Amino acid sequence: MARIVVIGAGFSGLAAALRLRQLNHEVTLVAKGVGGLQLSQGTVDILGYAPEWVQAPFKSFAAFIEANPDHPYATIGTQPVKRGLTWLSDLLPGLVVGDMEKNVCLPTPVGAMRPTALYQPSMASGVLTKGKSYAIVGFNQLKDFSPEFCAANLTRTPLPTGGSVTATAYRIDLEVAPGEADSSALRYARALDDRPEFRTRLADAVKTVIGPEDIVGLPACLGLDDPTIHIDLAQAIGRPVFEIPLLPPGVPGMRINEALMRALRKAGARLVLGSFITGFEASAGSIVSVTVQQAGHDRELPADIVVYAPGGFESGALTLDSAGKISERTFDLPLTGTNAADLVTGDYWHDQALFKVGVRTDSTMRALGPDGAPVYGNLYAVGSILSGATRWAEKSGEGIALGSAFAAVNAIGGGK
Amino acid sequence: MLEVDSYEHNVLARASLDHCVKCTICETQCPVMRVTPLFSGPKYVGPQAERYRHGESVDHSLDYCSSCGTCTLVCPQGVKIAELNSVARAAMKRDHMPLRDQIISRTTLLGTVMTPVAPIANAVLKFKPARIVAEKTVGIHRDAAMPTAQLTTFTSWFKRHTPSTTPTRGKIIFFHGCAGKYFEVDTAVKAVEVLEHIGYEVVVPKQGCCGMPLQSNGIFDAARKSVRTLAGQLQAGPAGVPIVSTAASCAGMIRHEAREIMGVTDDALIEAGSRTYDISEFLLGLADKGELPLDDLKRIDTEVCYHAPCQLKGQGMGTPAVQLLQLIPGVSVVESGATCCGIAGTYGLKKEKFDVGQAVGKPLFDKVKEVNPELAVCDTETCRWQIRNATGAQVVHPIAFIHEAYGLGKATEPKAGSV
Ligand SMILES: Cc1cc2nc3c(=O)[nH]c(=O)nc-3n(C[C@H](O)[C@H](O)[C@H](O)COP(=O)(O)OP(=O)(O)OC[C@H]3O[C@@H](n4cnc5c(N)ncnc54)[C@H](O)[C@@H]3O)c2cc1C
Repeated sequence: MARIVVIGAGFSGLAAALRLRQLNHEVTLVAKGVGGLQLSQGTVDILGYAPEWVQAPFKSFAAFIEANPDHPYATIGTQPVKRGLTWLSDLLPGLVVGDMEKNVCLPTPVGAMRPTALYQPSMASGVLTKGKSYAIVGFNQLKDFSPEFCAANLTRTPLPTGGSVTATAYRIDLEVAPGEADSSALRYARALDDRPEFRTRLADAVKTVIGPEDIVGLPACLGLDDPTIHIDLAQAIGRPVFEIPLLPPGVPGMRINEALMRALRKAGARLVLGSFITGFEASAGSIVSVTVQQAGHDRELPADIVVYAPGGFESGALTLDSAGKISERTFDLPLTGTNAADLVTGDYWHDQALFKVGVRTDSTMRALGPDGAPVYGNLYAVGSILSGATRWAEKSGEGIALGSAFAAVNAIGGGK
Repeated sequence: MLEVDSYEHNVLARASLDHCVKCTICETQCPVMRVTPLFSGPKYVGPQAERYRHGESVDHSLDYCSSCGTCTLVCPQGVKIAELNSVARAAMKRDHMPLRDQIISRTTLLGTVMTPVAPIANAVLKFKPARIVAEKTVGIHRDAAMPTAQLTTFTSWFKRHTPSTTPTRGKIIFFHGCAGKYFEVDTAVKAVEVLEHIGYEVVVPKQGCCGMPLQSNGIFDAARKSVRTLAGQLQAGPAGVPIVSTAASCAGMIRHEAREIMGVTDDALIEAGSRTYDISEFLLGLADKGELPLDDLKRIDTEVCYHAPCQLKGQGMGTPAVQLLQLIPGVSVVESGATCCGIAGTYGLKKEKFDVGQAVGKPLFDKVKEVNPELAVCDTETCRWQIRNATGAQVVHPIAFIHEAYGLGKATEPKAGSV
């Protein structure tokens, strides 16, 4: 049993912390704030574009790694990613379904078609299928979702795997509270969780407006605590129903975030939320403690092992100063690029090398120095801090997060 | 730094607002926004409105912010949302501070008046017609939780008591807070007995109010005066020794709120804050170093719901009480997982906010009733009163369990001061 400090509460930090705790280590998770899960779609991308549409993520791995030798998948390899995905599916059967060997095509709120591997049961009927027709229903009081925009794009876009679908837009009035004209998806989700009559109201309104379409698509707000509301609705409406993930705050992402947090609490991890790690002490090539920023006085948290899962530029783990210098905030780890000026091109749609900057690791996820040796023998870097990927373009962020967490866990081994 | 009740003294908090990336994480976690449309949420009222404020109020829904601090806690970018709001509220209320807010924020005064006549005071507080009058005239909700006055203060108990052991570990300062002195005397007594039991020589310097209720009501001048006096009083105790407290929110006032919200940067305050610990944090720290006698902890077979108060979470120490209680054989701790109990100091007492406070606390009350309807655990006084009032459960400070486990009494039985 080792004293392990995991830094960061995004997908990678939560997965690493929970798995290490399950393996009987003493785990303290420290994070300044909620991680990126609830800003995501609540699905699990492995590899969606390479750069063409990927149908079978793992079958494409070898060629993708060969073409991108600096990609995190090149160091992680296939097995840890698969183990992470299997673990997650077993852990959250009510929230994660799908076949990791096969990408599906799901609609985005603007009616684009997006490849993903694992998704929530509430999205399953939304796997776009050749020849099917979809009723896309929006709510007048939910401004983040335009059913017209979504439906028109779905109809005019050919499916990546051939064929097409037809979609028709509908709108209903659905006030969460009398007179409330602008409600977030989360407001709807909580109302559907708490008020059975609100579910009936939604089902009745949808039934009244839709035409003869095969399947009904709704904005992703069908319950936060209860992820089975889509089943009730499908029954009441008499057609399959699915959710389309929206802008943040994303209800499907929140479901996974809260489920992982609950599991961590139950497993007995120590949680220190709301605190930055601001520094550390090292001796003989190993980290011996990290500094937790607390009120009044900092605390040195002793650690046998540190798993660093701080995210990338978005979370502030990688910073850019006004002179264009890129640095890593906590351990000052060596990065694959340090001068932003060389890494940004003026063409918006062009691949921006800046976003590939990050930390390089060995296959056990230990952060490497310029000499190719681990900077500290017990510092593992996982998730978005890793260099070499443009996650949103490749649709690879969640696979990297889980895979790197499992590669590190594998290297750390079991406790007792 | 300037000391005015406007934004200028809060330079750091104001600078942090540019870090807001509008990710809405604070909105998803805000317990008030969840239950009422009267508060337009931490993102709007905080970093967004602050840009336009320049010392003036631009959004009066700010008054419905309970100052629980959840927004600051969950913000991954380090924006000091709650702190910005507290300063802005003080500026907004400056010229028309309600009488009610001036009364309820003076805990020492309430304690001094109530203790000598405790049974009468308690009877009056339980007497419905009197509460209706108080609601109509002062604005304290008739059903709001009120403290129970005690016949003796902690201070008089402490003067009379004889330590059970001879000190082996040196001196320690105990900071009891106003509630510990007047109302939650039992908690303070048990804390001292535990500290003495494990070998400390407990010193209790004279101490007044930390000013927290004044601060949260926006009465900054008086609050600054209080906290400065207190810092001096604590410093009058033995130098350099840890200051340990059962009053988790008052400790937070010394450790960061006075500085971050009211701009008090006196050396005395910073120095006192740098050695102030929550008692569970302190004891767990000993345990982690192998310095807490664990073999003496006797078995207590129970399952209880533990609720971590907002003001404790805001200090960045995690939830040490959970780990501490689990050191006792037989104790099974279920974390409430709830954000806030809804009292937020004095917020939930106010007649116009009572219903909001009850709705905020509902998930917690349900959890307490589900886990163990007889007994729950929470570190701060006002939160305990709120949970007691709403659930009927007895709610104790974590130290009550450690006290029982060391064979010093029973967690559910008051040790001293009781009416
Ligand atoms: C605009 C955008 C779109 C994206 N789209 C996709 C997509 O379509 N598909 C896909 O697969 N991926 C996508 N990604 C990537 C995806 O967001 C990340 O891969 C994923 O969130 C990584 O999770 P993580 O755990 O590494 O980090 P994060 O979720 O960022 O979590 C980092 C955590 O670390 C904490 N932290 C950081 N520093 C410290 C410190 N010093 N002390 C304490 N705590 C600290 C933070 O508070 C946070 O809790 C996208 C990213 C962006 C920005």
